Amino acid sequence: MTAERSAVHDPVVVVRDLRKTYGDTKAVDGIEFEVGRGEVFGLLGPNGAGKTTTVEILEGLRRADSGTATVLGIDCNRDADALKPRIGVSLQTAALYPKLTVTEVLELFKSFYGNRPGRSADELIERFDVGEKRKTRTKELSGGQRQRLAVALALINDPEVVFLDEPTTGLDPAARRSLWDIVNELRSEDRTVLLTTHYMEEAEILCDRLAIMDHGRILETGTVKELVGRHFQERSVRFDAIAGLDDAQLGAIGGVASIAHEDGEVVLYTRDVPQTIGAVLDAAEAIGAEPENLLVRRPTLEDVFLVLTGRALRD
Amino acid sequence: MRALLILILANIRSFTRDRAALFWTLAFPLIFIVMFGAIFTGGGDSTRTYAYVDHDSSARSAALREALAGVENVELVDKTEDDALAAMRTGDVDGVFVVPAGYGAAVDSLVTQPGPPASIEVYTDPTQQNGTTATYQLVGVVLGRINLEVSGRGPAVIPTPRRIQTENLTFISYLVPSILGMALMQLGVFAALPLVADREKLILKRLSATPLRRWQLVGSNVVMRLLIAIVQTLIIVGVGAYAFDVQISGNLLVIAALILTGSVSFIALGYVVASFAPTEEAANGMASIVQFPLMFLSGTFFPIDAMPPALQAVARALPLTYLSDGLRQAMVGGTPFSPLWLCFAVLIAFLGICFLISARFFRWQ
Repeated sequence: MTAERSAVHDPVVVVRDLRKTYGDTKAVDGIEFEVGRGEVFGLLGPNGAGKTTTVEILEGLRRADSGTATVLGIDCNRDADALKPRIGVSLQTAALYPKLTVTEVLELFKSFYGNRPGRSADELIERFDVGEKRKTRTKELSGGQRQRLAVALALINDPEVVFLDEPTTGLDPAARRSLWDIVNELRSEDRTVLLTTHYMEEAEILCDRLAIMDHGRILETGTVKELVGRHFQERSVRFDAIAGLDDAQLGAIGGVASIAHEDGEVVLYTRDVPQTIGAVLDAAEAIGAEPENLLVRRPTLEDVFLVLTGRALRD
Repeated sequence: MRALLILILANIRSFTRDRAALFWTLAFPLIFIVMFGAIFTGGGDSTRTYAYVDHDSSARSAALREALAGVENVELVDKTEDDALAAMRTGDVDGVFVVPAGYGAAVDSLVTQPGPPASIEVYTDPTQQNGTTATYQLVGVVLGRINLEVSGRGPAVIPTPRRIQTENLTFISYLVPSILGMALMQLGVFAALPLVADREKLILKRLSATPLRRWQLVGSNVVMRLLIAIVQTLIIVGVGAYAFDVQISGNLLVIAALILTGSVSFIALGYVVASFAPTEEAANGMASIVQFPLMFLSGTFFPIDAMPPALQAVARALPLTYLSDGLRQAMVGGTPFSPLWLCFAVLIAFLGICFLISARFFRWQ
């Protein structure tokens, strides 16, 4: 992790030894990371990992017990008032006045930022594709529309840093994709984005870099490529476990570096895919079986998470 | 400042789009007034009753009596002066006419030669404006006829106006300020609901992530409720005045100050409820539990003097007692239960206590 300190060019978010405890629970347990200007940075982890607590400390909504957190050089704990005009926030749940219309909510939030030049409500309505809903009360919007409006609200003050907490949780695939487009647009505008997610796919597709979080700690930080490369030079060969074919036998196959088990599947991490598959087929045939659902994959974040935490991260 | 105005507007929109809130704050108090008003004013009674005191006992005074009694919807009862004035004070008659001794002789002399006009005394309660106006119209019509008949020149008989303070409030004029007090209380206590709902929906948390200040948020809330309080007052007093002839008299500044102090105090009580209610349903339950004793034990529907001593002690401890009592004193000249300054003092002290409790326990997220 010490290498991380200088790894980021022009850091906009800097977190050092941050801690927050609720009762006996260490929600955030001494984490460190940096986010560079214009980066899309992801906090990836299961529910309860401490992602939201971390983000809410950075947004000035919660005070950390110890450690430092700065955004745009402003201390989030001490000087939240100076920070708020310059950041955009979308909470886990789209927090919208249910009886106000789309336009009214946007105009309301715009007024909070005084004369600071921002986006106009109309511009955001066009861009977030809620045009035909502008006079609709927010409680009548679909989940995807609500979430898009919540992100639009986060941009009303033209912020330099945008925090998106679980922006796509509970959305259908189409709505999720439309939110991904928005995040990619933010990247192209050189805004810094910090998002949390528990979707591996989302983290892989959206994030320039990410930190894997579990039980209040950051386990690893890096690009997807770095994270995968750090743990696997191998590809994974997976198939349904075969009775009578044990780990000792499989481990002896040429090229196999390690073995894991996941939901009734055997996962072999190997440097030599053809040889491994050949050997598995031979060994299975020898006991009159056939490997089912045989799959060869380049290891993904999911594999990294499995190795780091010993369990799969599923929706 | 702009943020505050737009937030107030947003609050008003949210409020007026909430049909339940609209019903409870605007229609519910009116239902009480219309219901009790219809029961206690004995529907369609437009007959006006006057006491006739005749110290003269002449043909002229008998003619005057006949002329007055001949007007449609007017009823005359003969009484001694003392009885007549007592009846007036207790609200049994709407006015008193006193014909002085020598009235007949004075009028008779005017038939033959000019001279100073004769006069009769007319007692009204100037705080009952409509009644007073109707009485003088009646007097004007009848005396005008006599003037024409007697001389056709200057006035022969003129009324001498006399004021009398009627002591007892009619039930409906007792009820109107009381219901206003109750409505202001409900408006304040139920401020808890949208607050808790906004907290549950993370709206308060989301607002905390903007430069909006908390005083602006609270301020917008209070101003919105005060505006609704004004609308409530106009509706309740308007219906009381036009449908049930309740006369509002008294110092408008004092009335406005009472409405302001009372509303803000009970909004603060709403914040106390919101401080301890985890969910909107819980807030609804707690607000109901708070409002019912206030509603029924604060002299809203019947005078506190008429309650058993134990309940009177309870009433003394309830803040709504002081708001309603103050409003009755200030608006319809009700008999004081506590001096007006004490009403203000209790409400302000109550506001202070609620403010401190909310400041300590209210959670924004």
